[in-house]
Parts: sequence; structure tokens; C-alpha cells
Amino acid sequence: MNRPDKQPVKSRLADEGYEPWENNRRIPLPVIWVAVALAVWGTATLLRDSGSYAVAQNERQSGETVAAEAPEGGEALFLARCSTCHQPNGAGVRLAVPPLHGSDFAKAGPEVVAQIMLRGIDGPIRVSGFAYDGRMPSFAAALNDGDIAQIASFVANRFGGTGAALEAGQVATLRAAQANKGSWQGGAELAALVPDLPTQPPMPAEAKPATDPAISALVFAGKSDAWSCASCHGDLGQGTENTPRLAGLAQGYIARQLRDFRQGERHNESMNSVAKALNDHEIHGLAAYYARQRVASAAQPALGGDLARGEQIALQGDWSIGVPACFSCHGPSGFGVAPDFPALAAQQPAYIASQLAAWAGGHRNNSPLGLMDRISEALPEADRRAVADYLASLPAVPAPEQRAEAKIDGGKDEL
Amino acid sequence: MSSEKHEDPGQGRSVKRLIYSVGGGLVLVAIGALALESDLLPTWISGRTTEAPAAQSAFFQPPSEDELPEGPFGEAVKRGRDIFMNTSTNAGEYVGNGLSCSNCHLDGGRQPMAAPMWAAWTRYPMYRKKNNQINTMEDRVMGCFSYSMNAQHSVSGGPPPHGSDIYRDLDSYFYWLATGAPTNVPMEGNGFGKVAKTEAGYSSDRGAQVFSANCAVCHGEDGQGQTDANGRIVFPPLWGPNSYNWGAGMAKIDTAAAFVQHNMPLSQPGKLSDQEAWDVAAYIDSHERPKDPRQGKGTVEENRKKSHDGDATYYGQVLNGTLIGVGTPDPARPVGAPDAPAGVTPPE
Repeated sequence: MNRPDKQPVKSRLADEGYEPWENNRRIPLPVIWVAVALAVWGTATLLRDSGSYAVAQNERQSGETVAAEAPEGGEALFLARCSTCHQPNGAGVRLAVPPLHGSDFAKAGPEVVAQIMLRGIDGPIRVSGFAYDGRMPSFAAALNDGDIAQIASFVANRFGGTGAALEAGQVATLRAAQANKGSWQGGAELAALVPDLPTQPPMPAEAKPATDPAISALVFAGKSDAWSCASCHGDLGQGTENTPRLAGLAQGYIARQLRDFRQGERHNESMNSVAKALNDHEIHGLAAYYARQRVASAAQPALGGDLARGEQIALQGDWSIGVPACFSCHGPSGFGVAPDFPALAAQQPAYIASQLAAWAGGHRNNSPLGLMDRISEALPEADRRAVADYLASLPAVPAPEQRAEAKIDGGKDEL
Repeated sequence: MSSEKHEDPGQGRSVKRLIYSVGGGLVLVAIGALALESDLLPTWISGRTTEAPAAQSAFFQPPSEDELPEGPFGEAVKRGRDIFMNTSTNAGEYVGNGLSCSNCHLDGGRQPMAAPMWAAWTRYPMYRKKNNQINTMEDRVMGCFSYSMNAQHSVSGGPPPHGSDIYRDLDSYFYWLATGAPTNVPMEGNGFGKVAKTEAGYSSDRGAQVFSANCAVCHGEDGQGQTDANGRIVFPPLWGPNSYNWGAGMAKIDTAAAFVQHNMPLSQPGKLSDQEAWDVAAYIDSHERPKDPRQGKGTVEENRKKSHDGDATYYGQVLNGTLIGVGTPDPARPVGAPDAPAGVTPPE
């Protein structure tokens, strides 16, 4: 119907049954009902929301008071950064993680502690009469000079009984001096730093396997029907945004993901296509290559998640929603447990969050026993971002040594 | 236009009816939405399960870490917590297998149906058939060291002596967790709960398949658990020389079945049926583990009569031609003994 036609319609109505009293007619009852119902609904929703707002406000305030009472400075940083391994009381873990309490290294003062933190340790070390298979990450990328100074001062004070304190400026000098030197090669190398150290165990001769040139070519150049790994995952497997960090993931884990991509059991267009071009030998070689890459963390919290909540989920879980601590399966420092529980430390936050969402939404299904499906479903979206950001703030995992790799080669790879 | 003129006078009524029905429908939707949002509807209509909050509120809520008290008592609670979470270090002289209390008492002794300490604390002193005595909490924890932590293979060769500060600190932690809990009243969620006996009984053969499918990914196909890169236990060993011994509650199939059914796999409690829980518990507890310290110099058969009478256990039975319960071979040296001075790596 076009415009000119409208007028006659009106006139028709006027003709047929217009009564002047219709001008005074009430608003139709249903309209009033609708208005009243919507008003009641709106008011009730507003009231309910204001209740939630008040609760949230109270929680935030009580959280702030708790934060105000919590330990500060070096102690807080120690509890947040070091206590998953060395324990809140500095006692370490028997036969696994060296104690700090009364250790010669803590007694040697904050400068030594800071240098160990900057480079990490990779090799056998004797502390308080026990030998440990030292594997400590480098905190150089994860912490700034001020934080390292505070932690080192706290550790030397509390566990070594020294009165000296370190300034951020001194850490900057140490950082420059120790840059690009790699991890400390066990207690043997540290003995040069700490005089009068009891005999340290020798470094085992490490047989570095030469990288297969064909695998190297795959990583950096790709082949005819597959682009190179490095083009997305970075030159050293450090990953970026939604592309995961591969460096230091267990060989068995990487191999299984590649096979799952190849068979279409895990979905990602790029990876499905690349993996289809790989044979078993190449998958094995690539997994071995990335498992032994040691690269500083390139991940940063980037999703605006609540880091304190993320830390809580990672360390304690939230059992009220049936979520156990991430670290109860992925290892107490997020180092992973080969081959089924990948390392989480220093993983790209966007990748972690997207995988959690994929599990929750049923788009990723290759978690053993569906463990991650169930956990991801239980985590609200804000918690997923929080935990992803927290994991990104951790130092990178020291990649497994060749000895451990040989063990994986012999057995569990096929799991 | 002419066609509109033909429309019958009833059109006014039908339009009116339409307005009324749409309006009424909108009102109903609004009221319904309001009722749904206010959780006034029964779950069979709303489809919303209120289980999670209900389960949460059904159990006692212990205080959180933020509420740790100040002063000497707070320090004792912290020490107790550290012992509980990392027993093989903080009470290492008395731990013969590298485990921690928190391996079975999940969430630091907070988790209901995983023998939460807030519920255990309020029940002692109590009479226990296990040693035919009134047991204090200290006696009870001493039992944990002797059996679950296999203290016989520790550096000291036994549990902490009575009066040890270890008990004092652990007691402080338990007492603090039970802040506000009623004394001497069995609490909801205490112990590991129970799993009803099944008609088919239990079978370690059936259990082997359940284990393979549901447990092996964490605890290993060989049941020896898994460690992280530093050699730290992440998934505890379930049998063999580094697990609990034959005197532990977990060596009884009914206890293990209850723990499994209510807590395993982690984050999926209740995933296994009662039958599967019994079978897998039977499979786990059909493997050899350290000797029951109560056996002393007697035989397994004598100890079965004395200590395992009426238990659901394979202890003292012959399974696949092997007598179960003789114990794993004694290790050459206690767990966690200091190294030889030259640079050897620690055992395991």
C-alpha cells in the first residue's frame, strides 16, 4: 500500500464507526497489564542487582582489608613466587627441592641469591648435606629488578640470617653481568660464587643430540605442503597470543597433540593442515626438538584477569565449584607432568583462555578422562582469564635434560 | 481498498482478542521471568539445579587461609599446616614413603568426604577397635605415621614419640580448622563416607580394567605415581615400597572404595559406580605393599586373625598363587637418609 492510500483508510474508519466518546476511552487494559508487569519486573531486577552490587562491594572492601593485613614486600613476593617449590617456611621438598632455610647459598647473602634467581639452576647441587637434581627456572624475564632485590634480601635475611639488603640498582648491575649466560650449571659452577662451599656433585657429561637437519628445516623453512613451525610459534617456540608456547613442553605431549591434529581429533584449521603433511618420524623429531628448547618467557598477563584469583585457582583450586588446583595435576610449579599434563608456566594467556573455552564449549575433546572438559565448564569466564593471566606471569619451565629425554624416548612416548 | 471494505465487522473483535492475548501472554512471560529469576519455581519446571550451593552449605565451612590468627597460636597453626601439606619434609624423619597427609586428606584437610580434619578433630578422644583403646588425636595421628606414612622405613624408624611438637602443631592446625564446629557430634562429610556393598562383590580382575581406564593416566599403569621435573611426587604411588603399608585404613578395600567413589578421579567425584569403586579399590589393594608393622615376628595368618578380622581385604589370602600381605622387600636404606658424601644423586 502506498502513501496516498492511507488517507482514505482513515476516512473509512471515521465513516464507519467513529464515536466522539472514543477520545475519552481508557487505555486498553492489556496495555496497562503489560506496563505494570514490566515495571514490577524492572524494579525487582534493579533491587536484586543492587543487592548483588552491595555484596560485591563488601567483598571488595574485605578483600582490600585482607590485602592490607597480608605480608608485604619481600615476604609477600616470596610467598607468591617461591613458596610453591621452596615452601612457605623455606624447607623445600625432601629429595626434590633444596631447602633455603640454613642453606649455604642463603647464608652467602642477597647478591648470591639474586644471581641464582636471575639465571636459574640446571644441574646437581648439594644443599645441607643432600644432593638435588637442581632444576630452577630463571626469573630474569618474570620479575623486575625491584622485585628480585626484595625477594633476595628477604631470603638472605629470613633463611640465611644475614643482615644485608640489596637495592634494585644493584640487581640491574648483576642482571647486566649475568645476561645471556644460561642457567648455572649446578653447585659446581656456583662454588665459584660462594666460597667455602662443601664439595658439590660434578656435572654429568651431557650428550647433546645433534638436531636432525631435516627437522631443523621443517621448523624454520617448512616443506612443500606445510609452512614452517617458526612462522607462527616464533623462532624458538615461544609462541604469541593465541599461538601456544612449545618450548619445554614434554615430548610425549607435543607428539600426541600433533597426531590428534593429524587425525582430526583436535581442531585447528592451520594445525590440521600442517599435521596432515607430517609423518611419524617428523612428529617424533619435532616433539623432541621443542621439548628441549630453553627460552625465556615471552608471555605477559594480557587479558585483564584478576591475578590473585588466578593464583588461588592454580595453587588451591576452588573446591566449592569442584575445581581442584591446576598444580595438583600439572605439577606444583606448573612444570607439567609428562606426558599427559603439559607445562602451564609461561604459556600464552590468550591460548590458555581459548583452550579452556574450547573445552567448556565441547570444541576440544582430547583431554584424558575428559578432565579438562569438566573443569573448564565449572570455571566462569572471568576465572578462565584470571588463571590464564596468572600462569603467564610465571617463569618459563626449565626444559628436561637429555637424561630425562632418553627415558621418555624409551617408553611413554606412545601414551 | 475495496477488499478492506469487505472485511467483516467481526474484525474489530478479533483484533481486540489479538491484543488481549498478546498482552496477556507478555504479562505471563514477565511474571514467569520474575518468578524464575527469584528462584521461586520448582526445579522440575526451571530445570535449574541448586545442587552446588546446597552441597556447599550442607557441609561445615572451615576458616580460610586469610583468617590465620596472629601470635604464637597462629605460628603453630602455620607449622601444622606446613607439616600437613609437606609431611615428608617437615616431619621427614618419621616418613618412610615420601607422602604427605594432604595426599588423602584433600584440599589441605578441608574437603568433605576426604576425611576432613575439621570433622575428625571434634570426634577425639574416642574408642577405636583398631587398638582396643581410647585414642586421643595424638594417638590417632601416631597411627597415621605408622601405617599411612610407613614410618618404619623412615630415618628414625618409627612415628614421632608422644609429646613431640609435630603432634602439637598438627593438633593446632586441626583445632583451627574446626573453629566453630560442634564437639562430639558426628559431622556431615566426615571420614571418606561409605559405599554400599554391591551384589557382585569385589574383584581385582574387573578392577584392573577400571584402573586402566580411569586411574592410570595420573597414577601410572604400574600404580607408582608420577613426579614432576624436580622429582617431587605429584600423583602418589598406590602400591609398592613407596606407598602406605598393610596397616593403613586405605589398605582396606571398603575404605579405599569410599575414598575413590567420593573423590576420584580428581574433579569428577561420583564418576565411578559403586561397583567400579569396589573393584578398583580391590585391584589397588591386591598389590604388595610394605609389611603391616603389627605383624611383628608372627606370620601373616596370625596377623590376619589379630588385626584384619572381618576387614574387606586380600591380606592373608592367596591371589593368583601368591600370598598377599608378606610385604615389599625392605629397602637398603631409610627413605630420605643423608647422602654418601661423594656426589651421588638421591634414590628414586
